Amino acid sequence: MDVIETDTAKDILLEKTAKCRGCRFCVDVCPTYQASDGVESFSAYGRMQILRRLLLGILGFDDSFTYVLYSCVQCKRCEVICKSKGQALDICQIIQLGRSLLSRNLVIGNSNEKI
Amino acid sequence: MKRSKILISQALLTLKENVERTGDPLGFRRPYWNKWAEELNLPREGKTILLTARMYQMLPYVIQTTGLVASAKPLLAIKGLPKTLAMANRLVGETVIRLKARGEEAIRQKGENALKGIVAALSAVGERPAYLYEAEPYSGVLLYDLGLEKDIAPHIHKVYASLKSWDIEQIITVDPHTTFMMRKIYPKYIENYNIQVRHYLEILSEKTGILRDVSPQGLPEEIVIHDSCVMTRDLGIIEQARNVASSLGIYLLEPKNTKLNTACCGGPVEYAFPDLSRQISSIRIRELASVCKNIIVTCPICLTNLTRYEQELGVRVWDMGELLFFACNSP
Repeated sequence: MDVIETDTAKDILLEKTAKCRGCRFCVDVCPTYQASDGVESFSAYGRMQILRRLLLGILGFDDSFTYVLYSCVQCKRCEVICKSKGQALDICQIIQLGRSLLSRNLVIGNSNEKI
Repeated sequence: MKRSKILISQALLTLKENVERTGDPLGFRRPYWNKWAEELNLPREGKTILLTARMYQMLPYVIQTTGLVASAKPLLAIKGLPKTLAMANRLVGETVIRLKARGEEAIRQKGENALKGIVAALSAVGERPAYLYEAEPYSGVLLYDLGLEKDIAPHIHKVYASLKSWDIEQIITVDPHTTFMMRKIYPKYIENYNIQVRHYLEILSEKTGILRDVSPQGLPEEIVIHDSCVMTRDLGIIEQARNVASSLGIYLLEPKNTKLNTACCGGPVEYAFPDLSRQISSIRIRELASVCKNIIVTCPICLTNLTRYEQELGVRVWDMGELLFFACNSP
């Protein structure tokens, strides 16, 4: 497999996250949302919106956003409900791809790099 | 949430270095994964192998490693210390973790019994796979989960080349994460990937009639099932565990969130965020315990994360392999 290059990954992520209709049905089923007593940033929807804004440069990459993205348990429960509502976004794949962009920087110690 | 960037950076770096250096996520050179099979004298060669990928065997060490990470977290803000910790991990990490893991006898026993039970049940239905013992590789799943897709490529190619050099045609896996890697991810990296990957529950569920011949003494009469997220939503292995448990004469109960809608045990974030992991597992275990005090899981990560509540809530968490172990070894 060819690992997706950074620019392509960004384009894919922007295209995919734009498809989210913001119905928020994925929010309640997210285990990290439940465990955080209802902080939307810790839901699938919240993570996708944060990722999108990181990519667009609206948000800066810091400790809290690192926590938000790497705390996703990748359980795909959000995808089941997204599919049942007719949208079927690969939410965990989106978050995983976002992580891979971050990980490329973090693994070489560039903890101050932007996404 | 504080210092998350440096914590994740350190975790990624350590994992990557460990796998590159030793092929093992813990960075251990001395095999810890083959002891369970020493007395079984399984064949070391064959077209079909049992691939545990070290998952059950690493449980006692994972508990210790996550404990060490949690205790080291406040120190990560000190300039230069993360690098010192990484070096310490390389130099003495194996010795320290091995020593501390001796206290985790209960989870070690569960893991070993689960693997022995799986082998016994496979044997009962006529499957006798080989086992690679000290040569058994790790799949690399943790690196993949953390987004190190590029860095994992050499490891995947190395593992696949080893398997092909032994003329292996079929793998029988014992956990959902390795099954997912070998079935869904490896083919993305390897052209013309041609190893058949089967989970042991897929094999057993086709031959449950034979399993009825074993006489399960001392097993719970009823049990509530906790489905693994990867098993159900990634692999679609849902009814197989139910068929096998039923064939052992156990009455299965379903929790509120089950099958495709199962809830996470919190295990996947334990490596870096143990507090969050425990909040998630606490919600899930209470949901399960409200249905039945006997709980069955089919994943080593779920096993570790839910077992920690056994004393507190008076529950017993069984791995499916453990049930098979007691079923196949009862008088």
